Amino acid sequence: MVSDSITNAPIPSAPNSKDFSKKKRANRSAKLKQCKLDARREQWLSQVAVKSKGCKEEGNCAKKERDRSLENLRQRDEDNNDDGSIHHESDSESPSNSPANSLLGGGGGGSGGSDSGTNFIGSSSSRSSISGSSSGGCCSGSITEEEEEDGCLDDWEAVADALAADDDNNKPEPEPENSSSQSPSESQLSMHSDSTPELTNGFGLDSANSMTESARMVPRISGNNTQAWRPDDAYRPQSLPNLAKQRSFPATNRHFGHGGVPWSRNSVLGAPSSCPICYEDLDLTDSSFFPCLCGFRLCLFCHKRILEEDGRCPGCRKPYEHDQVESEASVQGGSFTVRLARSCSMIARS
Amino acid sequence: MNSSIGVGGMPAASWVSTTSVSASGKRIQREMVELNSDPPPDCSAGPKGDNLYNWVSTIIGPTGTPYEGGIFFLDIIFPSDYPFKPPKVIFKTRIYHCNVDSAGSVWLDILKDSWSPALTVTKVLLAIRSMFTNPDTYSPIVLDIAHMYLADRAKHDELAAEWTLRFAK
Repeated sequence: MVSDSITNAPIPSAPNSKDFSKKKRANRSAKLKQCKLDARREQWLSQVAVKSKGCKEEGNCAKKERDRSLENLRQRDEDNNDDGSIHHESDSESPSNSPANSLLGGGGGGSGGSDSGTNFIGSSSSRSSISGSSSGGCCSGSITEEEEEDGCLDDWEAVADALAADDDNNKPEPEPENSSSQSPSESQLSMHSDSTPELTNGFGLDSANSMTESARMVPRISGNNTQAWRPDDAYRPQSLPNLAKQRSFPATNRHFGHGGVPWSRNSVLGAPSSCPICYEDLDLTDSSFFPCLCGFRLCLFCHKRILEEDGRCPGCRKPYEHDQVESEASVQGGSFTVRLARSCSMIARS
Repeated sequence: MNSSIGVGGMPAASWVSTTSVSASGKRIQREMVELNSDPPPDCSAGPKGDNLYNWVSTIIGPTGTPYEGGIFFLDIIFPSDYPFKPPKVIFKTRIYHCNVDSAGSVWLDILKDSWSPALTVTKVLLAIRSMFTNPDTYSPIVLDIAHMYLADRAKHDELAAEWTLRFAK
């Protein structure tokens, strides 16, 4: 039974878990945070950044993997506890459970799960299985413990998260590592991955805390993300999950994180940023003010000023529409029309 | 830049109407910056002294015209309600041209009735420069010169070149 679950675990979590597993193995062997190579560290940092962007990606992407891995964990636990009597049952359940898992603790569980699977392969640690058993009781509760124990993610992440989340005081204090040094990173990572999908989805917020945290985290993370890799970037590490259907999440998240900056940009691009007459900045009202069909735009103050005296559009020199009577009255002198045509040609030349 | 230059130009406030000083001042400052960053060919312009509303400009006579090689100085005086009213452009260098009266005032339609607040000093200078090439004989201020231009172009050009040589070089 146990062997079954173990063997099953790595398979579903395809490239991702392998990558993780490598790192974990390295960690294990080294068992020290300082023994990481700088190059790898950078890669890791970037991966973390992407991951954060990809909380969606990773989180989502990892959903299935995590679900499965979670299932595996569960199975393991159950195996341990119940001698696997429930094993088949849980297995059959896994697909149905997957959404719930992802919502509750998909991120943490997922990352932990995939890692745990790999861990089993690399060195079947009795510990992980034990921790699994303890956590196996309930999915949500198990997440943290699983993370701590399985922990799998690297110190890179710990460092990166510490850097990124340094100012977040409300984060749970990294607890002294029970099993391994990775526990804090794990918990933080789980928070990221957990919070983001929820945020993007707009539902399933567990608590106000998670909400605030996610709100805090997401913009920064997304900022990093946009600077890191786009889904279609050529330099994007292949270890990152490559799930087409989750692309929608990055997009939404990006919009979310930037908080409508592209909107404002677009609006600014579409219209002159300042009045061509007085060079004052166009405010919101001015920027939605289209006084003339020719497209010449100006601020309301200048428009009013022109209406009081000249009444003609500065761009096309035609009288503003609602002022037509007045302007015609001012045209009285017959020669004026000739001059007007002349002026138009002049403008064209200049 | 606005505030610092604005303070420099603000002494003009004593003789400028108080209503739109800041608006016209800001506009003129911006035009000055843009003109300096991207001046039209053979043209230059800038405030005379510290008065933002009183500029001096030079235009070099375009080649292929009787004004070729001449350096013409102009005064540009901005009204207080600029740009809703056109600036006043006056030749300080004498010129033989049917659109410039004996006092040096330029009679261009865009500086009179056809002025548009969207026009700038740069465009006015370009219009004046094109006026060298193509005099507006349909609405001249000096009728004799316009008649001469239409009747005897060679004679007109000869006289214009002579004035340019005498006054503008």
